[in-house]
Amino acid sequence: MKTNFATFAAIMAASALAIAFEEPPLPVWPANERTDLEASGWIPGAILLTEDPIPDDPQPEKAEPLNIELPNPEEIIDDFRQVSEVAEKFLPAYFAERPKTFLIDPQGLLSPSDYRDRLGFLNYHASDSSIDLYVYVLGGDQEIPSEVREEEMVERCFSGGRPAAIVYYYLGAPQRSVVYLSPSMTTSISAPEQRRALESSVMQAFEKTNASEQFERFLVQMSIRIYWMERKLAGESATADDSQVTIAAPARAAAVDRKSVRLLWLQDLAVKSVMPVAILLGVFLTAFGFNHWLRLRARYRFPVFDVEPRLGGAHAAGVGAVISFASATLPPASQRDQVPDYLRRA
Amino acid sequence: MKCPRCVQRIHRAAASCPHCGFTLADADACFGASDVRIRSLTDCAGILRRGDRQRVEAAMEQISRRFPQVFVAIYTGSLGEVSNIRQFGFWLLNRSAFEDVPVEKPNEAGILITLDPESKAAGMVFGYLLDPFLEESDTFDCLSRGHAYWLEERYADGILRVLRHLDAILRKRSRQARRDPEHFERKVVPPVQMGDLVRRIRSGHRPAGIETAEAKEVGR
Repeated sequence: MKTNFATFAAIMAASALAIAFEEPPLPVWPANERTDLEASGWIPGAILLTEDPIPDDPQPEKAEPLNIELPNPEEIIDDFRQVSEVAEKFLPAYFAERPKTFLIDPQGLLSPSDYRDRLGFLNYHASDSSIDLYVYVLGGDQEIPSEVREEEMVERCFSGGRPAAIVYYYLGAPQRSVVYLSPSMTTSISAPEQRRALESSVMQAFEKTNASEQFERFLVQMSIRIYWMERKLAGESATADDSQVTIAAPARAAAVDRKSVRLLWLQDLAVKSVMPVAILLGVFLTAFGFNHWLRLRARYRFPVFDVEPRLGGAHAAGVGAVISFASATLPPASQRDQVPDYLRRA
Repeated sequence: MKCPRCVQRIHRAAASCPHCGFTLADADACFGASDVRIRSLTDCAGILRRGDRQRVEAAMEQISRRFPQVFVAIYTGSLGEVSNIRQFGFWLLNRSAFEDVPVEKPNEAGILITLDPESKAAGMVFGYLLDPFLEESDTFDCLSRGHAYWLEERYADGILRVLRHLDAILRKRSRQARRDPEHFERKVVPPVQMGDLVRRIRSGHRPAGIETAEAKEVGR
């Protein structure tokens, strides 16, 4: 009975829903009524049913192009003339020999804390990568004197030793930065690829406005691009095309974008130790489970000794303990000494 | 080893209690001289529900499986005086025939837990097989585990705790017996008779000045 009622109710509900969702029919003009209305010259809503523009709608005014005078070539040249050359006394420190540290800033353009942080990062990069990154810090309005040939300096100082990427970074003007690779890498890493690496780093730097933060972002991105260069040098199949860089870069950037080198080292250690720890944990759990399984299956036996019967009992005389649970005030500890009852009463 | 009636210590082969003269015949006089047929889990007091019975039986079965020589029996019922529960356990383990226990497991291999919800007492006795391996303190420790549950009349939970601790103690004793069986054997070796002692002393002593042929060989 209940089933029939439920079926009936379901059918009724379905039909009600179907009726509710049916759209009402659109109104249709009777032919004679439309003719009469058109003859009278006015149809209600006719203004909305036509494709013609609304009569009173104001037309948007066309924007006039700005009449700004563009700079002429002479002005552009004058603008470049504002840069100054690096003082001569700093040139030996910059270019005399292969630098001892990865961050070369003889002018002291970076604050001590920034210098320490950036140098820490470059040291970390050197420990993590087979390609060193040497950065020469110059002022944003400075330029290298014409008598210094950067290519020659790179060939002279970086022909031996570990492969290196040499960057001339202009503080506050990352777009002026220049990158060179040591001769051992130039055959493998093409110039367009070097240019892309530099452009990518400059773009990252421009996400910040502060010169110090720009420098930091620049170095992080350059480190990432060097990672891909390193993979290419190692002959791995995964080439550092733009799409891969786009996917992989945020992860590596997140990994290396830390101010503290110690934290970076710890994070790197954690990543490296995930697999060994997982293996150890698996081995431990397997051993524990196997041991537990063995213990469950273990059978225990007792040696059989001849025991003389006592008190006339053929099977047992090993009378164990008796415990009373009549009251919570009489805990087991107070019943441990099993004494004769007459002694207990006394 | 203690007498079930006077709880005084008795020696290993006492035919009767040297203090009160108790024997199985005295227990027979109280509880009956004929054998009784019961199951290993006999709930005469009706304190175990169906689910409780299953849990308790599973725990008993686990002990029987883990210790192939041993079985556990549980009896609940009203016994009257608290002092009688010792004698009753002693009597029941000697006089009962457990229907559901294989014949290759005699009562010597049994551990009987007796629970009296009326007088609120519990006791544990064991057969001769376990005589060298179980102490009175072991059984007391087992029963102590169930005390808190029995106070709240959660009898099944208390029994399960007792059985779990008993399992642990038996495993420990089995391992110890495998390592050093002589230690346990010494507990049940019959006491040396005086005649044997004299014979051994005499066999170890020889008159002075008499050397055996072997001793002479060694001297050379």
